This record gives sequence, structure tokens and C-alpha cells, in this order.
Amino acid sequence: MIATERLIIHGIDLEVLRGGTGDPIVLLHGMRSLTSVSQFPSLLAGHGAVIAPACPGFGESRRPADFETMYDLIHLQRALLDTLPGERITLAGLSFGGWLAAEVAALGHPRLTRLVLVDPVGIKISDRETADILDVFNRSPDEVRRAEWHDPDRFAPDFDAMEDAEIVRYARDRDALCLYAWHPYMYNPRLRAWLHRISVPTLVVWGESDGIVTPAYGREFARAIPGARFETIAGCGHHPEIERPEELAALIASFVKG
Amino acid sequence: MQLWFHNENTYPFVPQNILDAADSVRASLPGRLCDPKIAADLFHQCMDESLLCDDLGINIVSIEHHAGINSLYGASPIVLGALARQTRNVRVLSQGTLISIRKDPVRVAEEYATADVMLRGRLDIGFVKSGDSEMASGNANPVGNLERFWEAIDLITMALKNQDGPARWEGKHFAHRHINLWPRPYQQPHPPMWAATGDPDTARELGRRGMVNSVVLRGIDGTKKAWTAYREAREEAGLPAPALDRFAYAGFVYVGDTDEEGVEVGSKLLWFLNTSLKQAPQFSKFLPGRMPPDMAPGVYRTKPRPGEAPVARPADALRNMTAEQAIQRQIMFAGNPETVAKQIMAAYDTLGGFGHLIFIGRSGYLTHEEAEKSIRLLAKEVMPRLREATAGAVTTP
Repeated sequence: MIATERLIIHGIDLEVLRGGTGDPIVLLHGMRSLTSVSQFPSLLAGHGAVIAPACPGFGESRRPADFETMYDLIHLQRALLDTLPGERITLAGLSFGGWLAAEVAALGHPRLTRLVLVDPVGIKISDRETADILDVFNRSPDEVRRAEWHDPDRFAPDFDAMEDAEIVRYARDRDALCLYAWHPYMYNPRLRAWLHRISVPTLVVWGESDGIVTPAYGREFARAIPGARFETIAGCGHHPEIERPEELAALIASFVKG
Repeated sequence: MQLWFHNENTYPFVPQNILDAADSVRASLPGRLCDPKIAADLFHQCMDESLLCDDLGINIVSIEHHAGINSLYGASPIVLGALARQTRNVRVLSQGTLISIRKDPVRVAEEYATADVMLRGRLDIGFVKSGDSEMASGNANPVGNLERFWEAIDLITMALKNQDGPARWEGKHFAHRHINLWPRPYQQPHPPMWAATGDPDTARELGRRGMVNSVVLRGIDGTKKAWTAYREAREEAGLPAPALDRFAYAGFVYVGDTDEEGVEVGSKLLWFLNTSLKQAPQFSKFLPGRMPPDMAPGVYRTKPRPGEAPVARPADALRNMTAEQAIQRQIMFAGNPETVAKQIMAAYDTLGGFGHLIFIGRSGYLTHEEAEKSIRLLAKEVMPRLREATAGAVTTP
């Protein structure tokens, strides 16, 4: 149902997952890129024409020299939206991709009709001595693992069991994430003040056990977007798309139809 | 051959059970574990060791590391400033302010120009790429570190050379609208420049630029790789072959009255390798940008897959080394003066010579008195032997 293809946007050669028919659903990956073996994009493709690009530097998407900021990513995603057919585009972003989706939606796009944010990062809420987002580059891998997953033993990556190519991809994703989001760590200090510019119906979904960014952060995130709906999914951490893919796909499907 | 005294001002006085329980002895140990009264004594002892070197004709290295038992020299320019005023004779190498974690290289240039003036032209500027836990302490993105390193060097060089009023820099990582150093450096166009690296690619660029390549604790093989790359890059660029003063070898040195004393006391220096290198995985193997992603499988896995060779990790290979192993690998020279001179000359001959020997002369529980004894013996008994053995070597172009 889902195939890996290449797509050139603004001269940048991207790896994209494509599948399904109907109105476009742009799916932006989180801290790790998606692959065709991921279950979630296939499930989502039952409800629209999914297109899931790997951001430059992630997965098999080449990163042009000096392309290294959220500013670059925002422009690229807007350029990608311009190329899509139809008048009803849904933009969905997971975690880091949720931040990117929120930035794009705050700027607006004439054919964007729905926004879905799943455990997004990207805004600052707490006081200056309290981090909202667990620092995955600065905290111990064990702590990050416990915070990231509801059931780490089942879902967390096990490098000893992974193939070389999977580990290389993981490392490439981690380098790219660090490049874009090291400082300020995983947020734009000004984004929260502009979220009210989002003018399309928005669904904010949160894993109840997420310890990277907590549901309390999610409620504040949703509150900053006019009319946003907030939903939680039980039994999952920062990755509903991996720990509860069916529930997440069903939530999005009903939201897109509504 | 020039001798350079290198002391990282280590702080070994944290109980071993705390070090064993900590995932990292750098960057993250709580500050309450560092007693400022002990630190004060250490700073003054280290300064006195440097002043002894100044009297004996041994040059001095001033270094920088952050927030760990491996070094108390986080505020490196402060230490350099104290050395600039207190020494009178020898050269001082700052190796160096960690430029890729400093936000404003122009400010670094200003510090170096001031130090060079206070030293009346006795400053050498060494650059260190930095990395690992320093990225956390310095709040610096580990991805792009090398690119920032070179741009900072270019900007610092430009700032030091500029004598024509406000200059401008609008680079990729740094921008400055008004670069105009007062005082400008004492040495023209700028103090000699070094960089510490064992990485062949970085050494190649040093070669093209004609900077001094110091290699710290990499032993003969690692050093040879870097210096071969340095020489090849110059040849490929059509530049003249480098003189020996472009190469600095760094290792542990302890000189005692006897071989037994040299080895026994010198083995205390290995605390640096055995205890102070421990870093949490997020600062080492999982640090983004630290190595090409293609190398990740061997590094991320807890054990090699069946039939696969383990990945060589330079830092791991240095841990748990005995004095005999360190001497055999030529990262340590220890014994009586004659033995040490012979050991140094053996490394010198194997490597085709070097113009500088940087000796790490104090670390861990090696005491101030022990360090000073070795420094004296080195100056009085070893230096003349080295001078005699290297007489006739062409050190400068």
C-alpha cells in the first residue's frame, strides 16, 4: 500500500512514502524518519493520498550544503504543499514534524484544510529554569528510553538486533535532528505567540505516557490554537504512530472526514 | 627540540565510589564535589610549576577543559593571563581556548592579542577541535563543530592581522560588524598557530596552512598517520616540505633518579587515562556528528555481531593501561634521565623527528613535589642529552 519514491522539491531530492487515494495527507515524521515497513503510513493511506517526505538529512533525503535550519524546512514544506493536487490538504506532524507542521500552518496555506499534531514539540511553556522537552541529546539513553515509550521493552530500538542499514539510518536521523533542533532545544521561542494564526480545524493528539513532552504540555499547546481539539491515547508514549498506530489512524480518519 | 610542560590541573579528590557510580566524570559531576579550597591550592601549585619551567627554559602549555575531574582550567584565558604576567622567559602555548564552543571568535582574538602583548610576543596560539562532553558544557551543537572550528580560525586570524580600522565579517556561523583590536598582537602578522589533532583530514588542512600539528597521546602509529597526511597535503598543494618545527609530539613524561622511581611515580600519570576519560554515552558514542553515520552499527551495538571485528575506539584503547604498556606504546616516557632521553629519541627517530615535545608532567595523584622534581631533572639532565642527540637536525625552514 505504501511505496518509497523520490520527489524533487525546489531542486532538493527527497525520499517520500506514498500510498492511498483521495485528498492529500502530508505526514511529517518525528525524531526518526518513517519507512515503508512502518505500519502507520499504510494505515493512514486507507483514508487519503498519503505523502510522507523525509526531511533533508533524514532517511535517504539528501541535505544540500547550508540547508540546516527550521527556516529552510518550513520553506521546503510550503513548497511541497504547493505541488499537491486538490483543494483539501491535511497536514499531520509527529513530534518534531508536529513542530514543523505548526510553523507551516501558522504561516497559512490557501489549500490547507486540516492540521493534526501528534505529541508535537516546538513551543516554550514553563519558566526559564524548567525544560518542557526532555533533552534526548543530553540525558542518558536509559532515561530517554523510559520517557519515550510506554512499553520500551517491546518498542524501543535494539541496536544489537537491528540491521546495519537501520542503524545507519537511525544515526543519520539523529544527526539531522540535532542540526535543526539543538538550540534552542526543540522549540522556537516565538512560535507560541503566533499559534493563534492557525485558522484551520486542528486535532492535537497525545500519548498519555509521553515523558519526552507530557500531556500537560500538549494541553497548553492545544489551548494556544483557536478551537483545537485535544485527545489522548492510553498505553502509549511519545510515539502513538508506533505504539498505537490503529488508534491514531482512526482518530485522524474521523477528524479528516468531519 | 623545544620542550613544553603540559599540566591539565586535574582534580582527583572525588571519592572513587562516587566516580564509579557516575555515568560521566566530565560535564555532569555536581559542583559541590569540588572543594574550592583544594582547587585554590592546585591552581597555585600549577602556576608554581609553570614558573619553575620558566626559570629552567621549558616552555609552557595552557589548556582548557570544562566541568570535570580531568581539568579545572575551564576559564582558560584567565590562566593564560596569569601566566602572561608571571612568566618572564619562555614561550606560552595556549592550546587552547575551545573556539568552536565560543560564540564570538573576535572576543577570543582580543584575548589572544592582549595575552601576546603582555607576554611581549611569547605567545603561541593552539586550536583544539573540542567535542564530546565539551559540547554539553559549552552548549555547542556537535553537528557542524568542525565547520565552526575552521571559520573561527579564519576570523581570529583576520582579526589579529587587521590594522586598518573596523573590519567586517559576515560568515556562515559568525557575523561581526566592527572588528578592530586594541591592542593588536605583539607578534606580526600574528602569533604562531598550532592545532592539536590526530585526525588525518584535519592534519591535511593544517599542512596546507603551515600550522604546527600537535598530536596528543596517540602514540607512534596515530601520530604518524596525522603527520604523513600533513606532509602529503603540502606536497599535493605544491608547497615546500615542512620543517620539524611544524610537528609536536605529546605524551606523559616522568623523570626520576632511577628507572624504578621514574616508572613508579610516572605510573600515577595514567590516572588521566584510567579514571578521567569516563564519559556518558550521550556525550560519546551517541553524540550526533561525532562520526559518520556509516560507522554507527559498530559503535552503537553493545557487542560486535558474530564474525565482525570490534570497532577500534581510541579512548577505550587507552583505558586500564599499565606503565609498562604505556611506555611500550610510547605514549609515556619514564625512568632515569638517560632512559627517558633514549625513549624520547627512539620516538623521535621512528617518526622522522619533531621540533616540539609536549610533556604531560602532572596528573591525578602525582604530587606537586614529584612534578617539580621531574621538571628539574628533565631540564638539567634530559634536555642536554636531547640537544646533543638532535644537533644538526634542521628544525626550522
